[in-house]
Parts: sequence; structure tokens; C-alpha cells
Amino acid sequence: MSNHALEQATASSGQRSTDAESTAAVRLERVTHEYGSSGDRAVTALRNVSVTVQTGEIVGLEGPSGSGKSTILHAVTGLLVPIDGTVELLGTDLTGLSDRKRTRLRRQHIGIVFQRFHLLPSLSARANVALPLVQAGVPTATRRERAETLLERVGLADRTGHLPGELSGGERQRVAIARALVTDPDVIVADEPTGELDTATGADVLDLLTDIGRNRAVLVASHDDATLSVADRVVGLRDGRVVTDGR
Amino acid sequence: MSLQRIAVRTRAVVGLALAQLRRAPGRTALTVVAVMLAVLSVTLLASLGVGVVQTGEDGLENANRDIWISSDPIDPAASGTANPIVGSHGVSADITERDDISSASPIAMHEVYIGTESGDLERTSAVGVHETHDGFDFEAGGGFETVLNVSAGEHLEHQRTGEPTNEEIVLDPNTAETLDVSVGDTVFLGTSRETAQDHEFTVVGIAAYYSQYLGSDAEAVPLTDLQAVAGTAGTDRATFITASVEDGADRDAVSDDLAAEYPAYDVRTSDEQVGAMFEERSLVLASGATLVGLALVGGIVLTINLFALVAYQQRDELAALRAIGLSRWVLAGTIGVQGLVIGLFGGLAGLAATPVLTMALNHLASSVVGFDSLLQTPLEVYVAGLALAIVVGTVVAVVTGWRAGRYARLEHLEG
Repeated sequence: MSNHALEQATASSGQRSTDAESTAAVRLERVTHEYGSSGDRAVTALRNVSVTVQTGEIVGLEGPSGSGKSTILHAVTGLLVPIDGTVELLGTDLTGLSDRKRTRLRRQHIGIVFQRFHLLPSLSARANVALPLVQAGVPTATRRERAETLLERVGLADRTGHLPGELSGGERQRVAIARALVTDPDVIVADEPTGELDTATGADVLDLLTDIGRNRAVLVASHDDATLSVADRVVGLRDGRVVTDGR
Repeated sequence: MSLQRIAVRTRAVVGLALAQLRRAPGRTALTVVAVMLAVLSVTLLASLGVGVVQTGEDGLENANRDIWISSDPIDPAASGTANPIVGSHGVSADITERDDISSASPIAMHEVYIGTESGDLERTSAVGVHETHDGFDFEAGGGFETVLNVSAGEHLEHQRTGEPTNEEIVLDPNTAETLDVSVGDTVFLGTSRETAQDHEFTVVGIAAYYSQYLGSDAEAVPLTDLQAVAGTAGTDRATFITASVEDGADRDAVSDDLAAEYPAYDVRTSDEQVGAMFEERSLVLASGATLVGLALVGGIVLTINLFALVAYQQRDELAALRAIGLSRWVLAGTIGVQGLVIGLFGGLAGLAATPVLTMALNHLASSVVGFDSLLQTPLEVYVAGLALAIVVGTVVAVVTGWRAGRYARLEHLEG
């Protein structure tokens, strides 16, 4: 199952952009978002932010805590809907979709890599990788086969039956990357993917991320210069605004 | 959605739920224990409620009397003036003459003082009856039987003396223990401290038969002896007259006839008598009902809290599952299956512990207040307990799982 044939997958899910930039994998257009109730207590996380990520491109998001990096990742994955602006995934505006449809699009087209891995400690590496396929109703044997193939690809062929607690930090992040890839997504979103790893392990994980990201759109949020160095383009954020966009 | 997809997801959800339960065996065991306690709180209190009703009904059924005639008040704790039926033997004899009545006899109740030569006097209740019967379940000794046949019209006023003639008594086990007497010993009995020394009775048996109906220690004494001691032999006072109808006679019709014949008295069938006794104990019954209600509400609240906590403890995992694209139904199912498994084991453990604890509490109740089988556990009690554990447990778990899915955000994945 390849999701790169995006037109088929998204044609029934919502509006499609018709302008020249509709081929962008991710496009945020004048996005503004606030947390909290309206009024004095509301915190503006994003102000009029526009970012585009093409397929095959690795884009870094740089900025201090509270600058809006995570909010952009949330918006791209459809986990939040901004109060203003549009968020297009493969030409489909997520802001107009129901929670259920956004979840389906996320499952089909996005792979997420978390800073703290967030593997289920009760499941083996193989079962963790196979989890996203459960929702699609993929039979057990197929799930297992695909998970083992991906674990082999990230260099963990001999760790498939291990629980996360039995793996090192680097190995856990590799499992998480394999899990992000199991649905063959068009977009990879990584939030501080090396934040919990030492320098050498972090470099290995970045190599893996850039390798698998060649034919996809990758969005990486990080404080770390070494992590951002693998990006084709870095978007700088301060106080919810884009302050730089380029190398 | 194809059936195969549903089957695949269902299997995965069950596997996921069991894996989560296995991951923290200590926490799972504690949750099972908590459900067991919730079930026990419901089954034991429901057993108490059932037992209260059943004890009252059994009491009248064991008496084997179909019709009860009384006149307010029928408070067994009241003194002799509250034995409102005057000329009770005569009334009993008249009633027995009817073709549809096989027998009738009076029962009197008095507060009395009882003691031994060496000990202090104890205040207790005495029930005056014509004879004891097999239902007494004597712990020691046997019963008594007065010589004259009340139902046959004997023992009328002119045939009785003002002094006790049988001088036999069946003591409650607690009273016997307090007085340190056994079968064959002699006790004093009177309606006041001053007159207690005047009458001596021989202990012929030990039984808690009347105690279990009155809720306090009660001694059985021949009716005419009790009347003589109480000074009501002349007026022949009694609290009740009980009657049995002939085989084939319509109990309700006979009751109506008697009510018409004796308008001054309350005539009830044994079923109605249960209702009348409970009306008088409405406060106790209301308390019992409140306790049962609170047990149910408490059990449900405990179960809701429990599974909300189960979902809360897994919020990070749920947030991650939601982020990687699993639907809220799958998340709710995962928590729901955990609820089902915990509810099943907790429920079965609660049901298994119910008869053991019921037996222990019954033993305690029997030794402290004299009620045998106060807690009773019909099938319905077990069904209610298991339903609480499984149905409420599963439903609450699914709902909390669903809500947890709604609030599962990436915020839970940071920090």
C-alpha cells in the first residue's frame, strides 16, 4: 500500500487546492492559534504563520521553547485545529474536517516520531511497530511480516521480540521510526527526535531519518543545531512568528 | 467495514488490553480487589435486606398460624397494659368453634425481671404461649405443654387460679449465660423487681426461638403462668390470638369473616401481619433500604472512580495510540476489555467471598443479637453483585476510555 498516490486517498476527504502549490505535501497558510479561553488569559501560540514542505524535502523548525514549533506539528498532524488559517495535507484542508476524518488522514499519510519514543511498554518491538496497522484491520500475519521487515531495515532484526524496557534509548527511537514508517506515510513529523539520545546515537538516528525521508516530506522540530543540520531548509520561529525561512 | 476487519481489530484490542493488564500485575490485582469490595458491599447489604424480610416471614410461617388477631398497640416491649385482648381464652374458644377454624390460641407478651438467688435481676421479655413446639430448635432440654386444651374451650376464667401452676420456663441462651443457669436450675420471675422473688420457675429448655423475632432476648413461659405473674389472669389479657384454618378453607375469606365478627380487633392473615409488623418498623426498614441504596450507589461510584483511574494511569499510552491514528473506539475498547476482565475476576472473587462472610456475619449476629440467618443470599443477590462488577465495570471502562481518547493530546506526550 503506497500513500504516494495521494489523489486517490484524499479525493473524498475534503476540498482540494487547485493553485500551483497544491503539490506541496504540507502547506500552512496564515495560521493563527491561541491556547486557553479567549480574553486576557489566552496565549497566542502561532501568529499568521505560513510554511510549505514539498515531498522529498526535510524542513527543520527552530526556536526556543514556546516559540510555536510543537503547535505547528500538532496542526500538521491534525491533532489540533487552529483558530484561523488553513492547514493542507496533500492538498486537503484539515481545518474543515471532522476529528474522525483527520484521524484517518493522519493514520494514512503521517508518521510521527516523538522525543520520548512513546512505545507501549507492554508490547514487543514488533507489536509496537505493527500497532498503526490495527486500525486498518490488517491481518496479524501481515502486520507481523511488515513490522519485521521494517525493524530489519532500521537495524533491529535481532530485537523484534524485546520489550521497550529491554532496549537502549537509540534502539527505542529506531523502533519508533519503524512504527512511523509502517503505514508508508507521505509525511514524517519528528519532535526533538534526538532529544533523549547521546550525540553518537543521535547522529545514527538522524542518518536513518534522512535516509527514509528521501521520498517523503519530513518536518523536524528541534533546539539542536546538529539535528537541524540535516534539514534542507530551516524555519526560525520566535513568539509564534516565522522570523527566518531558509538556510 | 468488513467483518474480517472488525474481527482483526477486536482481537488486537483484546490482546492490547491483556498486555496492559499483564504489564502491571500488582496494580491489576489491587483493582480486582477493589471491585471485589464493591461487590461485597452490595451483596452483603442486600443479603441483610433480604434476611430482615425473610426472618419476619419465616417467623410467622414457622408459627404455622394462618390468622393473627391483635389490637393496637402490638409493641412487644410494652408492659401488661399493652396486652389489649381481654378474655383471650374465651375469644379463642369461640373462634375455635367455627367450622372453618381448626385451632386458636392466645399469646401474651410482658416485660419481666428474671434472676437467681445469688445474682442480680435482669430485665427481659417473656412470651406466654400454650405450648412449645418442634420449631424451637432447643439448644438444651425441651419445652413445656399446659395441661388444658385451650382450643377446646378449657382453661376458661373460672377454671384458672391466680397462681402459676406449671412453673416451667424456656430461657434464651444469652439469658441463661448471663444468669449462669442450665436446664434443671431454678430462676425467679416477676413483672417488677419487688415481686420477682415471689415466683420460682424451673428451666426446662434453652432456645432462641422468640428472640429472633423480637430482636432482643425473650423467654418462653406457659401463658397462664405468665398471666398469673403479671396479674392479668383475671382479665385474661393477651397480645395476639393466632388461629389456623381448616384444610381447604379460604384463609382470606375466614379472615374477613372474623374481622366482621370482631370489629374491635385487627384481623390479619399471616402475610398481612408481616406487612403490619413492618409498618411499625418503618424507620428500621427505611434505614435498611437506605443502606442498600447507598451500597449500590457507593459500589457504582467506587467502580467509576476505579476505571477512571485505570484510564488516567494509561493516558500517555492512550495519547500515543491516538496520535498514531488509532480511533477512539479502539482506545475505548482497550480500556473496556480491561474493565470486563477486572470486573469478571473481581465479581467472581466477590461472589466467592460472599457466602464465607455471610456465614461469619450470621454467626456474629446470632451470638450478639440472637438472630439466626440474618443475612440471606438468594440467587438475585449474586446476580446483582456480578451485574455490578461486569456490566457497570465494562460500561464505565468503555465510557472513561472514550473520554480519555477525547482528551488524549500531544501535550501528554511532552514534558
